Amino acid sequence: MAILEPSSVLRRSPLNRRHLQSHGLFKKIGENLLVEHYGDDDRIAEEYKQAQVLSICDLCTLPRIGFKGAGALAWLKSQNITLPELPNTTTQQNNGGLAAKLSEQEVLILSDIFALSQDVNNLSSAADIEHQDCDQKTYVLPRGDSHCWLAVTGIEAAEMFSKICAIDLRTHKFSIGSVAQTSVAKTNAVVIRHDLGSIPCFYILSDISGTEFLWDCLLDAMVEYKGYPVGVNALQSLITEK
Amino acid sequence: MKARLPAPYGSLIDRDKPLQFQFEGKPISGYSGDTIASALLADRRWLLSRSFKYHRPRGVLTMAGQDANTMVQLPSDPNVLADRELIKEGMKVTAQNYSGSLEKDRGALLGLFSRFLPVGFYYKAFFKPRGMWEKWAPLIRKKAGLGVIDQQLKPDYYDKQYKFYDVVVVGGGPAGMQAAVDAGVGNCEVLLVDENPILGGSLNYARLDAKGVLSQQIREELVTKIQANSNITVMTNAVCNGWFADNWLPVISGNRLYKIRASQTILCTGALEQPALFHNNDLPGIVMSSAAQRMIHLYGIKPGTEAVILTGNNDGYGTALDLHDAGIKIQAIVDLRDTPIYDDIAEEAISRGIPVKTGSAVYAAHNKGAVNVTSVEVRKIVDQGICADIGQVIQCNLLCMSVGYTPAYQLVCQAGGQLSYDDKSAMFTLSNCPDTLHLAGSVTSLWQIDAVRSEASRAAAIATNALGLSEKLIVEPIARDNISPNHPWPIFPHPKGKEFVDYDEDLTIADIINATGDGYEHIQLVKRYSTCGMGPSQGRHSALAAARIVAAATNRTVADTGVTTARPPFSAEQLGHSAGRSFYPARRSNMHYRHVEAGAEMLQAGAWYRPAFYRRENFDEQACINAEVTNVRNNVGIVDVSTLGGLEVRGSDAGEFLNRFYTFGFVKQPVGRARYALLTNEAGVVIDDGVACRFSDNHFYVTATTGGVDRVYQSMLKWNAQWRLDVDITNTTSAYCGVNIAGPNARLVLERICNDIDLSSDSFPYMGVRRGSVANIPARLIRVGFVGELGFEIHVPQQYGEALWDALIDAGIDNEIQPFGIEAQRVLRLEKGHIIIGQDTDAMSNPNEIQMGWAVSKKKPFFVGGRTISELAKKPALRSLVGFIITDPDAPLPQESHLILNNEQMTGRVTSCHYSPTLNKALGLAYVPPESATVGSDIIIKSTGGVLVHASVVELPFYDPKTLRQEL
Repeated sequence: MAILEPSSVLRRSPLNRRHLQSHGLFKKIGENLLVEHYGDDDRIAEEYKQAQVLSICDLCTLPRIGFKGAGALAWLKSQNITLPELPNTTTQQNNGGLAAKLSEQEVLILSDIFALSQDVNNLSSAADIEHQDCDQKTYVLPRGDSHCWLAVTGIEAAEMFSKICAIDLRTHKFSIGSVAQTSVAKTNAVVIRHDLGSIPCFYILSDISGTEFLWDCLLDAMVEYKGYPVGVNALQSLITEK
Repeated sequence: MKARLPAPYGSLIDRDKPLQFQFEGKPISGYSGDTIASALLADRRWLLSRSFKYHRPRGVLTMAGQDANTMVQLPSDPNVLADRELIKEGMKVTAQNYSGSLEKDRGALLGLFSRFLPVGFYYKAFFKPRGMWEKWAPLIRKKAGLGVIDQQLKPDYYDKQYKFYDVVVVGGGPAGMQAAVDAGVGNCEVLLVDENPILGGSLNYARLDAKGVLSQQIREELVTKIQANSNITVMTNAVCNGWFADNWLPVISGNRLYKIRASQTILCTGALEQPALFHNNDLPGIVMSSAAQRMIHLYGIKPGTEAVILTGNNDGYGTALDLHDAGIKIQAIVDLRDTPIYDDIAEEAISRGIPVKTGSAVYAAHNKGAVNVTSVEVRKIVDQGICADIGQVIQCNLLCMSVGYTPAYQLVCQAGGQLSYDDKSAMFTLSNCPDTLHLAGSVTSLWQIDAVRSEASRAAAIATNALGLSEKLIVEPIARDNISPNHPWPIFPHPKGKEFVDYDEDLTIADIINATGDGYEHIQLVKRYSTCGMGPSQGRHSALAAARIVAAATNRTVADTGVTTARPPFSAEQLGHSAGRSFYPARRSNMHYRHVEAGAEMLQAGAWYRPAFYRRENFDEQACINAEVTNVRNNVGIVDVSTLGGLEVRGSDAGEFLNRFYTFGFVKQPVGRARYALLTNEAGVVIDDGVACRFSDNHFYVTATTGGVDRVYQSMLKWNAQWRLDVDITNTTSAYCGVNIAGPNARLVLERICNDIDLSSDSFPYMGVRRGSVANIPARLIRVGFVGELGFEIHVPQQYGEALWDALIDAGIDNEIQPFGIEAQRVLRLEKGHIIIGQDTDAMSNPNEIQMGWAVSKKKPFFVGGRTISELAKKPALRSLVGFIITDPDAPLPQESHLILNNEQMTGRVTSCHYSPTLNKALGLAYVPPESATVGSDIIIKSTGGVLVHASVVELPFYDPKTLRQEL
C-alpha cells in the first residue's frame, strides 16, 4: 500500500505535524486524509483497546457544515434531514450522519466517521444554488473550516474532561445525543456525546485555529489516565465490532 | 524516640516504617505517618519556631495545623505547618524567623523593648520627620515576613478538576460521617471531605466515656457503613477552603484544586478549641487539651511527665484521664468553675485521686531559663478576670488548656450564615444559612454524641428530601445542652503582660485595650489597627478573646461587639493551587509551519502566532526586514493575513446594517467591490477598520483587525439586537486563511494558478472583489493596497491554507517570490501612510484628527458615533496625526510613545517610526498640536537616551503619493 503524505492533498488538518511526529499513517476516507493508526501495524489492535479506555482522534478533515437563520430548520427538513426536537440535542441520520441542534435557528451537520453519509456534500451543493443570494433567511456556516473536530473516546473520557471542562459529562448525567456549548481548556467548544458502539465518545468542535492548543491540553489531561491518540481505524472498529 | 508511647497508641503512624530526616541540621527519627512536629515531639523537641514580633520560643499549640506556631521552612517551601506536614526520608527542615540559632535567638532581645512597641507603633513612629519612613522602610521590610522563598524553584505541576455531587459533607468527624451515611441513599452521590488523613475527627482522640472506648466503637461503626456504601466518595487530606455561591466548593488535595459543585451541602466543620489568656501562655509545653490528646492517640507521643490541666468544662477531665492512662502524672486539674457539674468522665478522674482546684485559674506560667514551661502559678478567681493576690506554684512540664470552643464558622459565614453570641451561656449560634446548606455537629454548639448524630441524620434527611431522593420525616431539631463547655471569661491580665491574645502577631491584652483607647472601638477597626487576626491562623484562636476584651473595654456585650469577618481561604493555600495548570489559548493559521520551516521568527499577537520576519543567513534582524520590504517594492512577496478578522453579514438589510455601523456609505456599494470600513464608537472614537466586500446584494464579507474582530462582532450583535434588521452576522475569522500577494509582479505570479478570474486591472480593478479558485482551491480575492503595491488578498477555507501557500511559492519560484512578515508589513504600510488602529490611534482618536475624514459619510442620516464626530468637527482640533521625516541620518530612531516637545512642554507623541529602506530615511507618524501640523513644521522628539531629534512634518503618504502602484 502506498504511503500517503498529508501534503499530497489540498485540505490538511492543523494537526498533521503532530501526527507525523507520532508516526501517524494516513488513509483516505472519502475525499479526506485521516490518520489510520500510529506506528506499526501491530499498534492497530492496541489502539482499538485504547479507544475503549481513553483516546483522542483527529477528525478535522471529515465533512461538516452548519446552517442558521429563521429559515434554516425548515429548509433542512425539506432536504430530508431529521432534526432533534430540542436544542442541544442530536439526531442520528439514517445514513450515519449526525444533526446537532445548537439553537432554535442553528444546526450543525456532521458526517459519519466512515464518510459514507453524503449529507454535508449534498447540503453544501444545494445551499450553493438556493442560498447564494442570502435571501431566504438560511445561512451557510463553514463549520468544516471554522471548527476543528476531535473525538475523545473511552470509559475514562468523562473523568478526564472534568479536569478541563466545567460541565458534568459523566455518562449518567450527560446522555447520548446531548450537546454542551461550553468551554474546554478556556476555549469555546461544542461537546457532543455520540457513543461509538457501546463506548462513550465525545465529539469536540472548537475554533480551528486553536486546534493544536486544545489537542495539547487534552493530551496533558489524559496523561493521568494513560490516554493517547489513536487513528480513525480504532474508532471505526468500535462501531463495527460492537 | 524518647517520648514514644507503645502501640496501640499512635493510630496514624506505622512503626514498621522508620524514617530519618533533619531538623536544624540534626538527625531526627520518626515513623511513616508522623508529622514533622510529632517526630520532633517524640524526640522531646518542643521548640519549633520563633514568634513574628518578639521572637519568643514557640511550640505546638493545636497539633492540628490550625496555628502559626508550627510554621517551618522546607528547602523550597516556607511556612509549612509542622503539625500537618508528613516527614519523608531525608527531608531537611529548618526553623524560621531567628537570628543566630533557634535556641539562642538574638531577635528575642526585642521582647525587652516590647513596652516601646505598642499597638499601632508603626503608624505612630515613622511618619515624622518628613521622609523618615523611607529610611525605616528597608529595615522594617527586612524584618518582616516569615520564611525564605526559593527563587530557583522549578514549580510543581498543579491542576484543577471539577466534581459534581448531590450532597457534599464537609468534615469527617462523627457528625460528618453520620450525615454521609444517611445521605447516601438511593442514587444520591455523596462526597465526604476531611482535612485529616483518616476519618473520625474527634472520635480519633477525644474521650466520650469514662472507660475511653466509645469513641472507637462509634468510629468503627460509621467507617464500616461508609466503606460499604458505594454512593459515598471519601476525600481525606482534603481541605474545603471556602464556600462560594450555589455551593461551589474549592477543595484542595495534594497539588490539585477540586472545583466541586454540590446540590446540597452539609457543613460538619466542628469547633476550634480556644486558649486561656494568662502571663506567658505561649510557652512551649502549653497546649490545647485536644492537642495533647492528638499527640497521645494519633502519634503515640507522651507529651510530658508532669501535667496541669486548666479547664472550664468536663472535657479537661477527659484529657486528664487520657494523660493519666498514658503514664503522665497529673499535678492538678485547675477548674475555672466554682461549682462544676460533673459527668461520668469527671467523676472517673476524681475517683483516680487526681487533685482538683475549683474556682481557680492559671495566673502565670514560668520556664525558669528553660524553653518549655516548668511551672504554673495557680490562683483563686475572685472576680471576672481577677485573681487573688497570692497563689500556689505547681511544677509541671505540660499545661493543657480546655476552656471552650468556637464553632468553625468560616464556611458558614461565607455562605451568608449569621454568627451570634450569647453572653450568658458563652456559646455561639449560627443561623440564616441558604436553603441548600445545612449544619450538624459541634459547629452548631451541640456536644453530646447522641445529639450530634441525630442532628446529622436530620440534616441529611433535609438534604436528600430536597433533592427528591427521599421522603423522610423531618423531626424537630434537638435543643442545645444547657451546660456550656465554654467558660465566659478565661482571661487573666497580669501586671507584666505577655498574656497573648494573638500568637501570630504577638498581641497581648494590653495591645487590644490600647487599640480601643486609640479610638478604634469597632472590632473590624481593632483588627486592622492591631493586626489581630490578620496572621496565618486568621483569628481562629484570637477572634473570641479579642471580642471579649474589646467588649469589656468599650462597655458592650460580646454579642454586640461581634467577631471579625472570615473570608476565604479557610487555610493558607499555595499560589500553585490558585494558578493551577495555566491555559493560554494559542491560535495558529493553517500555514503556520510553513513560516517556521522558512525560518520565521514567530511572535504572538494576542493569541495568534504570526511571523515577525524570516531569518536570512548573514543578515541581522533589521537587514532581514529591509530585504523583505525591498522585495515587495521591487518584485513580489506574500504575507500570511489569516489572523485578520472575517465577518459575514448576510440578509436583506445587510447594506443598511453596515451603513449604520460603519462611517462610510454601504447601501449603494456595488456588488463586486470592496470599500474601506472605519468603525467608531458612540463617542466618535475610532475603534477598528477593515474592508467590506460585497459579494451579492445581501451578502457582505467584512474584515476587521486581528485584535479587534471579537469586539467588532460583539458590537455588531449588540447593535442589531437594538435595530432588529433582517441580517445575520457570523464571525468566520478562523474559517478562512488569507494570503496577501503584493508587489509589481503579484499579478504575474497569481495568474499562473488562477484560471477562472480575469486578474487584469480593467476587469479586476483596485478595491474589486471576486470569487473563484486559486490552485483549485475555492477562494475569495480582494484587491487591496495596505502595503501600497499591486496586491491581492486571497482568502481560502482554513484547512486549504497550507496548500495555498505552497501553490503561491511554487508559482512564484521563477520570480524569486519571498515571504514577508508583519515587521516588513508595518514598514510598508507606514511608507504608504496607512495607520494601524490601536497603534496610531488611542482611546480619544476621532476620524478628523487622524486625517480620516474622507472615510466619514456626510450624507447618511445616522451611523454609530456620527453625531459626536459632527459635533467635534465644529470645535477647534486639539491635535492632528501627521507624518514626519528625520533628515539627520545619525539621529537615534524615535520609538513609539516618545514625546514631542515644545520648550520642554509635552505637546504630542510618536505613534509609529521606522527606517524606510525604500526612501532611505527615518519616517513616522505622530500626534502634534494643530499649530505644528502644517507641512514643513519642525517638531522636536525626545528620543532614546533623552536625545532631542529634529523632524519635519510632511505630506502623507510618504510613498507613491499618487497611488499609482497599487492600482497597476
